[in-house]
Amino acid sequence: MLRYTARRLLLMSITVIGMVTVVFFLLRAIPGDPASYMLGDYATEESVAALKAELGLDRPVWEQYLGFVKRALTGDLGTSVVTGQPAFDEVLESIPWSAALSVSGIVIAVLAGVPLGVMSAVRHGTFADLFIMFGALVGISFPVFWVGLVCILLLAHEVRLFPALGASSSTDFFTQVHHLMLPALVLGFSVAAYIARLTRSAMLEVLGQDFVRVARAMGVPERRIVYRLALRNALIPVLAVIGVTFAWSLGSAILVEAVFSRPGLGSMILKAVFARDYQLVQAGVFVLASAVVLVNTSLDIVYGWVDPRVSVS
Amino acid sequence: MRKTFGALALILSAALIGTSAGAAELRVRIGSDVGNLDPARIFGIENQTVASHVYNGLVKYDQATNKILPDLAESWSVSEDGTAYTFKLRDGVMFHKGYGQLTSDDVKFSLERVLNPDTKSRYAGQLAGVKGVEAPDPLTVRVVLEAPNAGLLNKLTDFNQGWIASRKAVTEIGDKQYAMQPVGTGPFVFDKWSPGNQVRVVANKDYFGGAPSLDAVTFRIIKDETAAAIALENGEIDVFFALQSPPVIDRLKKADGVTVMNRVANHTINLVLNQTVKPLDDIRVRKAIAYGINREALIAGYFKGTKAPGHSVITSSFPEYTEEVPQYAHDPEKAKALLKEAGQEGFELELITVGLSPYNELVIPMASDLEKVGIKTKITVLERGAYLQARGKGDIMTCITGIVGPPDPDSPLVSLYATKSFPPGMNTSRYDKADDLLASASAEQDPAKRTAIYQQVMSQTMEDVPVLPLYADQLFMAHSSKVKGLVQNSLFTVQAYTVSLEE
Repeated sequence: MLRYTARRLLLMSITVIGMVTVVFFLLRAIPGDPASYMLGDYATEESVAALKAELGLDRPVWEQYLGFVKRALTGDLGTSVVTGQPAFDEVLESIPWSAALSVSGIVIAVLAGVPLGVMSAVRHGTFADLFIMFGALVGISFPVFWVGLVCILLLAHEVRLFPALGASSSTDFFTQVHHLMLPALVLGFSVAAYIARLTRSAMLEVLGQDFVRVARAMGVPERRIVYRLALRNALIPVLAVIGVTFAWSLGSAILVEAVFSRPGLGSMILKAVFARDYQLVQAGVFVLASAVVLVNTSLDIVYGWVDPRVSVS
Repeated sequence: MRKTFGALALILSAALIGTSAGAAELRVRIGSDVGNLDPARIFGIENQTVASHVYNGLVKYDQATNKILPDLAESWSVSEDGTAYTFKLRDGVMFHKGYGQLTSDDVKFSLERVLNPDTKSRYAGQLAGVKGVEAPDPLTVRVVLEAPNAGLLNKLTDFNQGWIASRKAVTEIGDKQYAMQPVGTGPFVFDKWSPGNQVRVVANKDYFGGAPSLDAVTFRIIKDETAAAIALENGEIDVFFALQSPPVIDRLKKADGVTVMNRVANHTINLVLNQTVKPLDDIRVRKAIAYGINREALIAGYFKGTKAPGHSVITSSFPEYTEEVPQYAHDPEKAKALLKEAGQEGFELELITVGLSPYNELVIPMASDLEKVGIKTKITVLERGAYLQARGKGDIMTCITGIVGPPDPDSPLVSLYATKSFPPGMNTSRYDKADDLLASASAEQDPAKRTAIYQQVMSQTMEDVPVLPLYADQLFMAHSSKVKGLVQNSLFTVQAYTVSLEE
């Protein structure tokens, strides 16, 4: 178990380093650079060259990379060329927004997706199953920004239950929660659809197995069979997939953030890419990749505890 | 499950009670995040809007008429030969956050900082021709020019390079860090930037023009225009700045308790024809293109009437505006005849534009118009960096460009028509017949005569059509009925100083 955990942690740091490296080189492969972006329409070749030299962009890319790694190892992720502030500061400002949205989205998704999936499997073939699976299909196939806009129109405009803006300037906790609810529901809906489908197929598989038939034959109550025997086994693949959905929800979160005008890591990175603010993108991707890998690794470790067969392989 | 819903309902009801109205705080929608509020390096309407609350210039434009009025300078005089401007500063103007009284040294510092190549200011060119800035006493500033320039005041208005920063603040905060910690003398004090969410400025109770009626202004970042419209209708914001989408404009015009304002901007969006590329060197071909493109239909169709016609590159928001210039109403027959006369039937015109809406879309109806008069067209859409690079090299056949800026006639005219703006400048057409007129306008101290010279430039350049104005941009914004006293300027910023809120 200890060796398994250690290996996962090692793999985790390699993944993060790999991600940041890929992003570092990808960014520099995009046409356009921070210097010409900042100097704009009236830039002369000399002024762009001078600014590039000041930013160190005139040196070979591998040299820039070594410099970046050296600074990153001392905990310095650089200064945003646009704002002149440390890049990590802006990332830190965005983390709570992203974390609140993703975590509440996932919680809603699990709370809704697992019971609905179970219900669908237990009532396999009935109208309820059809209805839930149709809802799940809608959740998976309709783009989250469209669902978001429709929700704003219906729940923030026609029926004014929620604010149209997904963020508030207020520091009041309940106001913030009120603003968060609609975006979290929209994000949760799309993830719930995925989880419900997965839970349903996992449950159907488990319910068809011999030990369930044996339990039924022995007269174990149906409730106990579904929730104690089948669900616990069916949850193992679901648990593993929640880690993947977390990364996926961070991706969808960018769209949700855009529709609901919410700050967050996703929209921050997007803004930084457009401004060719290399340092900000790198710092953002570093944190985002770390979060995804961290969640997946911890789930892998938990998975190892739940299912001892995993650590052997 | 039932428990969960109960808890959710509890939170919801608590949240509804939790929303409270505070002091007089104006909430303004901006379309994207701010990032740099340093006058030497600032760009983008969101940054400029926030900065215009924090800073003053030596002089300012009247928001409604674009006339130049005193701001930090109480009065000014011009030397007889027109090469020295002496400004008398207002006494007792204090910088925000305890950075002391404004003196001539701060003005000298601010202007010299823009001129200093080490600053790498994008506005150094705006102050080209300034030989030096002198501060003979704490309340006197003298700007010395290499040659007379009657347009200098336009360069020193409260916009971009004209905004005055505190020497002490920039030095203590740091040249780069200053970008998001601005210190000015304006009606509002920079309070806090929450990245991706909002920027807040609070009233400067000691403002020399009198304290603003508002206590604070929050600029909320709302990208989507439909979401912003709903937020305005719901009362979550008070002012919808940078309203562009025709369907949203239409929607808000019909909404209750919402006023939509619009004003012609200081710029036109133009098709620049490179005269050094054959057959665009032939004036008949350029005129054929002008007659061939149905600009009226572009405005009425694509823009749903949300733009104004562009008669020359000087829009109706300039005091120098005139319509007494050669006009090119849509006339496909005339276009065909001109092409036949020039012996250029069926040549290929490459329409090059940046990959940003609406430019990458409006080239399509333009191309279809041109195909109808027998010009083959090829549309090339470039990513912004690549576009700037291609335009900087200057060998592209056409490009689509607007000169966004203050109502300073030199700004579009010199940028588009002077030989000193040859690529990498904005004169991608390489038009070379306006230099003498532009120089005499600069030297002319009499405003009426100067206006006449500018109008001569406009008619000459519209006769030669190196640059075809497609439309004059029009700026929309909307506000709720609570907002009183909002004046829309033509700079595409929103200024909250004159605003008050009524319940």
